[in-house]
Amino acid sequence: MKRILIIEDDTVLRDELTILLQNTGYEVTALTQYQDILNRMLTAQADLILLDINLPETNGETLLLEFRKQNDTPVIMLTSRTAEIDELLSMSFGADDFITKPYNPTILLLRISAVLKRTAKTGTAQMYHDAEVSTVKGSITRNGAEQVMTKNEMIIFQLLLDRQGEIVTRDALMTALWDNDEFINDNALSVNISRLRGKLAELGFPDAIETRKKQGYVLK
Amino acid sequence: MKLTDFIKGRIPAYLMIALAWVLMLIFLSAFHVQAQAAVMISVLLWLGAGIAEVWEYLRKKQFYDKLLHSLNELDQKYLLPEMTGEPGFCEGKILCEVLRETDKSMCEQIGMHRRASAEFREYIELWVHEIKLPVASLQLMCHNDGNAKYAEQLKRIDDYIESVLYYARSRNAEKDYLIKPVPLKRVFADTAIRNREELQQRGISLSTDNLDTEVMTDAKWLGFIFGQLMNNSMKYGADEITVTAEDTHEATVLRFRDNGIGIPESDLPYIFEKSFTGENGRTHSKSTGMGLYIIRQLCAKLGHSITAESVQGEYTEIVITFGKNDLFDVR
Repeated sequence: MKRILIIEDDTVLRDELTILLQNTGYEVTALTQYQDILNRMLTAQADLILLDINLPETNGETLLLEFRKQNDTPVIMLTSRTAEIDELLSMSFGADDFITKPYNPTILLLRISAVLKRTAKTGTAQMYHDAEVSTVKGSITRNGAEQVMTKNEMIIFQLLLDRQGEIVTRDALMTALWDNDEFINDNALSVNISRLRGKLAELGFPDAIETRKKQGYVLK
Repeated sequence: MKLTDFIKGRIPAYLMIALAWVLMLIFLSAFHVQAQAAVMISVLLWLGAGIAEVWEYLRKKQFYDKLLHSLNELDQKYLLPEMTGEPGFCEGKILCEVLRETDKSMCEQIGMHRRASAEFREYIELWVHEIKLPVASLQLMCHNDGNAKYAEQLKRIDDYIESVLYYARSRNAEKDYLIKPVPLKRVFADTAIRNREELQQRGISLSTDNLDTEVMTDAKWLGFIFGQLMNNSMKYGADEITVTAEDTHEATVLRFRDNGIGIPESDLPYIFEKSFTGENGRTHSKSTGMGLYIIRQLCAKLGHSITAESVQGEYTEIVITFGKNDLFDVR
């Protein structure tokens, strides 16, 4: 389970953020005291840090700059500042992403998982049971049989695979597709999912994607 | 300074000299001075007065001509006192003094208003940052509690907050944007995701073409512009939004087109004006007439040109031109 450290001084926001991340299946630590934040960041052993820019007595950007000298844990800056210069500054100090408040929760989760994935040790091909998933080729191969996926199908499958065994909402799938410039509608999503099911069935995984009424989909 | 104008202004002086001369001639004849001597004295008198007048004329002409020339040449007229050298004659000195004093007083006034407006804007920025925290909390609460109903209203609140922020920014004299190469596709997708729920509820389809290009602009400002345009399309009955870009040698032309109710031809020239609501604003959903105005102000600051084309009942197309050399033009 991935550990996320939250550094946010607005109590309500911090609590809601904690609930959101816990519901998604992350282990969450949230700072409640703001002395010596840098040391806490360094000793937290988190996989990812969510860092607010406006903090009591200090500033997220300065903290990030100091932190980056000693550690390269991914950091996502959360802020209500919306000027381009703030983003540029944070990114140049070594932030992995920059998200402005108020954030759409599904987008926030998408960005978090994208950053985690980017920083995870990559190189080994991703597997789904005994099938090999190649995002580069956009295909799934099992026992020599290859199914070529469309871009949309691959985005959907990838998201389901990343959270295998968990419920992925249609909302999350939709956000991921739109994030990749595929502005599809509800019907198109259903069509894509049924095509994906068909292709998985041909590979010998019938009923791989289970529908949970009013909740979403689960990849088994 | 024209010679005739100068002479007109000097007529009283000439009359006085003429009077003095006539009186002098009377005295001279009363003392029985010889006619030749009287002619000689007259010539000397008129010669002296003439030379003094020519010198005076040339001196003033030089000063005032230079003054008027600087005034014409100057882009910022209030800089005139700085450009004017001290003249050697009294009226000119007074004029310079007056100009300097007026200028100083105006600078003080402007400074006062500038400070007041900067303070106001700073407060707006601060307020926007503060109000975004509860909005962010509420948005998370909606998501955590699975209540999409409130999320919609929060999105509306957030849109209004953004519009205040960008209004304040667009009015500001200082440069608070950052121009760098911005991928059009990314900015458009971010705006689309932000508005996804509403777009889907209204069954609006989006299509893009040729957005794989970069333009020189501020990404955040452009995102706001896209958001406003999208809101307009949603407000005015579109079910298709098409965004295309066209790259030429000097510029990238972006066309944001929807198939909504369109804009009446008579309203079209005024849509970018402040508080203009027009026929659509009256008959359709309520409009503040600020959206397009703010957009135009932002575009002007960024150095992009923005125009609109529309056929009522068919389409509305907003065209933004991003010059490739805008970087050097922006003020």
